[in-house]
Amino acid sequence: MHLGRGSAVSSQSVNNPQRRKPDAVGGQTTVLVGNPNVGKSVLFKNLTNRYVTVSNYPGTTVDIARAQANFNGRAMEIIDTPGINDLTPRADDARVALNLLDQYPDSTVVQVADAKNLRRALLLTLQLAELQRPMMLVLNMVDELDERGGKIDTDRLSEILGVPVVTTVAVRNQGTQDLVDALSEARKPTVSVDDHTANGDLYERNRVLLRKVHDILGETYQISQPQHASFSVRLGFWAMHPVKGLALLGLVLFVVTWFVGLFGAGTLVDAMEVPLFQQRLSPLAIRGVDAVLRFPHTHDVELISHAVGVPLTPVHEITLATLDKEAILPPYTLQPGVDLSTPQNVLRVAHDFLVGDFGAITMALSYAFAIVLPIVTTFFFVFSIMEDSGYFPRMAIMVNRVFRVMGLNGKAVLPMILGLGCDTMATMTTRILETRKERIVTTMLLALAVPCSAQLGVLLAMMAMLHPAGAVVWVAIVIGVIFLVGWLTAHLFDGDTSDFIMEIPPMRRPQLSNVAVKTWTRLNWYLREVIPLFVIGTALLFVLDQFHVLEALARVGEPLVTGWLGLPREMANAFLVGFMRRDFGAVYILDAATGPDAVLSAHQIFVAMVTITLFMPCFANFLMIAKEHGMKIAWAMAAFIFPFAFFVGGTLNHLGRWLSF
Amino acid sequence: MAEFLTCPFCGFEFEKVDTLCAHGCPLGAMCHLTRCPSCNYEFPDRPKRVSWIHKLFRRGALAYDELPTDIQPITKLKGGDRATVLCMGGQNPSRHNTLAVFGLVPGSEVVLVQLQPSCVVRVGETELALDTEIAREILVQRLRDQEPALAP
Repeated sequence: MHLGRGSAVSSQSVNNPQRRKPDAVGGQTTVLVGNPNVGKSVLFKNLTNRYVTVSNYPGTTVDIARAQANFNGRAMEIIDTPGINDLTPRADDARVALNLLDQYPDSTVVQVADAKNLRRALLLTLQLAELQRPMMLVLNMVDELDERGGKIDTDRLSEILGVPVVTTVAVRNQGTQDLVDALSEARKPTVSVDDHTANGDLYERNRVLLRKVHDILGETYQISQPQHASFSVRLGFWAMHPVKGLALLGLVLFVVTWFVGLFGAGTLVDAMEVPLFQQRLSPLAIRGVDAVLRFPHTHDVELISHAVGVPLTPVHEITLATLDKEAILPPYTLQPGVDLSTPQNVLRVAHDFLVGDFGAITMALSYAFAIVLPIVTTFFFVFSIMEDSGYFPRMAIMVNRVFRVMGLNGKAVLPMILGLGCDTMATMTTRILETRKERIVTTMLLALAVPCSAQLGVLLAMMAMLHPAGAVVWVAIVIGVIFLVGWLTAHLFDGDTSDFIMEIPPMRRPQLSNVAVKTWTRLNWYLREVIPLFVIGTALLFVLDQFHVLEALARVGEPLVTGWLGLPREMANAFLVGFMRRDFGAVYILDAATGPDAVLSAHQIFVAMVTITLFMPCFANFLMIAKEHGMKIAWAMAAFIFPFAFFVGGTLNHLGRWLSF
Repeated sequence: MAEFLTCPFCGFEFEKVDTLCAHGCPLGAMCHLTRCPSCNYEFPDRPKRVSWIHKLFRRGALAYDELPTDIQPITKLKGGDRATVLCMGGQNPSRHNTLAVFGLVPGSEVVLVQLQPSCVVRVGETELALDTEIAREILVQRLRDQEPALAP
């Protein structure tokens, strides 16, 4: 999994069963170890001139990064490990670190520490010392320690521990050369802790170690509380304040959805879809395929206009210019009176598979690249800014108590917010949750009620057609469903909710380079993992369409749609296609709602909006659920979600009619 | 068999037989307080039996009204208060260890940052968010200005 880091350098997943043989001997491998958020990855970059994502959310990644470096003429492999707090192999991260140390028995351990937080670093140092490897200690961020008027007696510390101690400021690349020079002096620690009381009990052992740490700190370390709080510190406090924090949370969610809906789904999609795909690439593909797969037919041609403007809301914009261009469309007519021979029919099927209504190029790729890609890019960008600033742990604090109702703890906020970008990716991220129950509940809520970014734009546009009260009711219904279903799932599904114990990293100004790399890492994942699923989904649609299964299904579903939901019969098709392309179904509805010949009343728009929000997002999401939790769970969720969406939609329809809206 | 007690106030260890206070006290056998012979601080020697109502609604492992006034769960502190952790409470070694790696062990100094919407404490340079249920089990003694904490 590539969430936090890894794209820039070769990385190896924890799940990879293949153990690498140590290809370096005699201390030519260096393993960086340290607590989370101590600047390990930046140091790694300084040492190797390559970049790795720095993640500010504890536990978003268990990938490791490795790279070659040349130190004073010695070739060396450097390995970065996930941040760990102790060496007990309970958490994935610590297991990865331990496995790595196992795989490289001759490696040198470089422990990176936050100079301000020496207590926690030394606990890890004492644990590492028990491994009896050549090691050294790097005190990073000494500039922040100086600002606080703190002091560390590095000579004395080095004497006590028996290993070299150097100071660095990784973000400014200071002290890197000292580190490299000291690396050759790395040696086995001489510090040891007599253990009379622990008897193998981890907690008691850690207490013994902490007592030793306390003694060491007494001799070498002093720090004072900051005199005045900086802006980021105050912002950090606001972000978890019961009132200000809630206001900030609301503001952040509003800005994110609006920005993604307006800029991503509006401006960027307009710029990609119409002029690039509809006016140019799609006709080009159709002409190309026609040249190769020949059978007598004529494609429809239509004048497609592209309005360039400044968006104000998802449905209003100031138009600056309109670019019209005639373009070939996928639908075609056969020449009348001509029967196709069998080989021609085969060509025709191949033609339809590539550039037909459900064609791999005209539908799957244009959808993936022209519509979803710009939207998820925008979302991932905003998400990375939030992640890099250290806001997510504070968000977790704000929602922890209400999430408890659903058998979740605050940590589940990360996948839930990511779901606003891509539910499929968020489903995969549920891995960071500790218990199976939490993972199942979160997966369920993502599939049911968290609208993904591809949908948000369309939903916002539909919402703009309604009275503001309609939007409020829609939000209330979605939140209500999340709580109701979350509460039910939590009570029906056996299991525990894990303790909410979470470190709150300091708020910091997002670094553009970090944000760029994180956005790219996620996009890279999206391109590799989700786009193939879109192609598979479209191929499935194509097959269903060829054998007229789609039509049959739509006919079966029609009474449900027209009678129960009170929507026009075309909507059955929209819902069906919507499962493969969630926004596509929504676009149908949008056309019917806001297009030139709008047929939907406000009441119908509202019912359609709620129903489509509650549907399982897309086929890719279904496949991801099956991959993460097994086919049984995936089918069970689908069996609940689809009837439930119809149930809620229909109830609203009848309730609305009864109240005569 | 002689039973030894430790005064929560001054740390003096003494035998339980020495703890009868003034002769002729009208409370007599009704009194559940123990008086430290060194500093004369009175504290309850054992928790009272908890009624079923208390059991139904109890939200921690201890009945707090039994505790000496300066020993309290962390959740009774006010924002900004400094305190020494006395006891982690509960029987959950794995949780205790999770907290220990952040430096939260008996003897360490904590500052309560906030209680709502989640409990946040600062241990050294680490800010830690906790479930209120977990925080409620951690017993602390409030520190006055400049008073140093115990060693871990």
